[in-house]
Amino acid sequence: MTEATVETSPTSSGVIAKPELPSNGKADVLILMRNLWKTYDMGAEKVHALHGVSFEVTRGDYLAITGPSGSGKSTLMNLIGCLDTPSQGEYWLNGKNVSEMDDDELARIRNQEVGFVFQTFNLLARATALHNVELPLIYGGIPGAKRHEMAKQALAEVDLADRMMHRPNELSGGQRQRVAIARALVNHPSILLADEPTGALDTSTSYDIMNLFEKLHEAGNTIILVTHEHDIAARAHRIISIRDGLIEKDERIR
Amino acid sequence: MNLFEVLKVAVAAIWAHKLRSALTLLGMIVGVTAFVTVVSLIQGFNVYIDEKIAGIGAKSFSVQRFNPFEDFKDTDTIAAAQRRNKELTLEDYDYLKDHATLIGKIGAKARGTPSEVKRNDQVLQDVIVIGATGNTAEIDNRNIANGRFFTDTENDGAARVAYVGADIATKLFPAGNPVGGEISIAGLPYRVIGVEEVKGTVFGIPQDNFIIIPLKTYAVNFGTLQRQRSLYFVATSRTDAGFNDAVEEARLLMRARRHLGPNEKDNFGIVTPDAITGLRDRLFGTIFIVAIAVPFIALIVGAIVIMNIMLVSVTERTKEIGLRKSLGARKGDILKQFLFEAITMATIGGAIGIFLAWIVGKVVTAMIFPTYLSLLAILFALAVSGGMGVLSGIVPAWKAARLDPIEALRTEL
Repeated sequence: MTEATVETSPTSSGVIAKPELPSNGKADVLILMRNLWKTYDMGAEKVHALHGVSFEVTRGDYLAITGPSGSGKSTLMNLIGCLDTPSQGEYWLNGKNVSEMDDDELARIRNQEVGFVFQTFNLLARATALHNVELPLIYGGIPGAKRHEMAKQALAEVDLADRMMHRPNELSGGQRQRVAIARALVNHPSILLADEPTGALDTSTSYDIMNLFEKLHEAGNTIILVTHEHDIAARAHRIISIRDGLIEKDERIR
Repeated sequence: MNLFEVLKVAVAAIWAHKLRSALTLLGMIVGVTAFVTVVSLIQGFNVYIDEKIAGIGAKSFSVQRFNPFEDFKDTDTIAAAQRRNKELTLEDYDYLKDHATLIGKIGAKARGTPSEVKRNDQVLQDVIVIGATGNTAEIDNRNIANGRFFTDTENDGAARVAYVGADIATKLFPAGNPVGGEISIAGLPYRVIGVEEVKGTVFGIPQDNFIIIPLKTYAVNFGTLQRQRSLYFVATSRTDAGFNDAVEEARLLMRARRHLGPNEKDNFGIVTPDAITGLRDRLFGTIFIVAIAVPFIALIVGAIVIMNIMLVSVTERTKEIGLRKSLGARKGDILKQFLFEAITMATIGGAIGIFLAWIVGKVVTAMIFPTYLSLLAILFALAVSGGMGVLSGIVPAWKAARLDPIEALRTEL
């Protein structure tokens, strides 16, 4: 089962493509991380949240990132989601070098390439499901009529076509998370990045959501799941375990 | 993100907290109401000076014995002017009329005499009776409610006809048409030929308590046109552009008629609207500035209230800001969102304030004093309140825009 245990040195894995050519030839490489460091300056001492993480993700993969709290998995998720930039190392997402981008370029990448799903859904309480799903399209500068069309379609894909005009407080937890997933998908991003997506849901609803992820994966979406729950991680096709800022294990299970 | 989308988000946020928004706006509303009310009072006062006190229209000027701005500075100048300046005469009037080329119309008037006016057993004391030529109705822009003004022929023939103010008409003719009716002025019978439109009161002084009779009739029945009945002329220019030239022509003709040498001072006075407004600005300019500055302080307080609430709102909505950033909102988008919220709020406050000031203005006009609310003042007040919105929104908006999305998302509500 265990195929590769990637260490801090990028050369230890022979499959890593040259970052100079990430977008041509190897079109199926979606994420390429090379020797990623993240260091926080806490006054006198420097804290290394990540020290030298390298891995790649091909298009259409279904990946889970696990690890105990404090392992650096949140830091890694923030980097993958382009909410933050690494202190050192390179990160290529869909052929673009994210590690050298400024705030506005990162915002654009988040808008176009990343679909976030959060543990607590993070829906705007005052807005309808439809408006919540439209939000990324507003920042993407897509005009009103087309926006409605795309948002309706995304809601239909998560079986919420009949709940479009409901506000979050009129929806169940599972329905809220599905609105959030529709919002993440509406812009057709390269990756769907879910942070503990079932953390606030009961067991049966959790399974519904995981089934939805499976369906989305089968439809061709690249999914990255960040979780500390083993049975949730086990639904993915590949699991990366993080501990103390390093990749401890990188295994393909399906 | 285009501005329309930003505006929609801003309005939604304001609408979501109606009570809070309303309370926040209170300071702005009070400030703008006070500001616009003061401006409309001042403008009303200015218009009043321009059109009423001057007794001449904006496009006319007068030639009189003294120049109040030059001759009435102190006792010395008054004494000098009394020695130098001679009464104007009807011959002066004919001379100006015959020689004028740039002057459009010129009419003559004599200062009024308080007189007793009677009809049957109705008696009115201290009605101001003045004499004028027929063409002054046009020069003074009189609005005739009923009947007509008298003609030059009636003036030349010293006809006993009277053009009366609205108060005189209603008091002496409580029922029936006053035009054609007979009244007695200072003991002599006159026929009423016209009634002026109601003007109301200004500073509590009634404006409708007057009678105008032909100048010749006035001279015959009230005495020579001198001293308290002194003669003066009112004139317009042939074209608006040639107004100053017409004033200058009147001055040169008067100097020529009185054989003044090049170094001698004018021994008559010419009063133009500019001179009157200039005097007004000298007397009241500082008062007006202070009167405008005080409500401006209220506006600034209103802006601080908005800033305070915006800062609270940014803290409260930290998580929303983090979410919006994670979905692709750039710094500029967040900045615009909060800035527009403040501007929209302040402008709504401004609009409400203008509306309230308009109502206050109507009430004041009806009861005390004419006010005037110009479009320019409205636009200026809107711009000022919008500017206050920028002032109060920029700091909170910048604070929101700078939030780190990771930290912001982690915030608990």
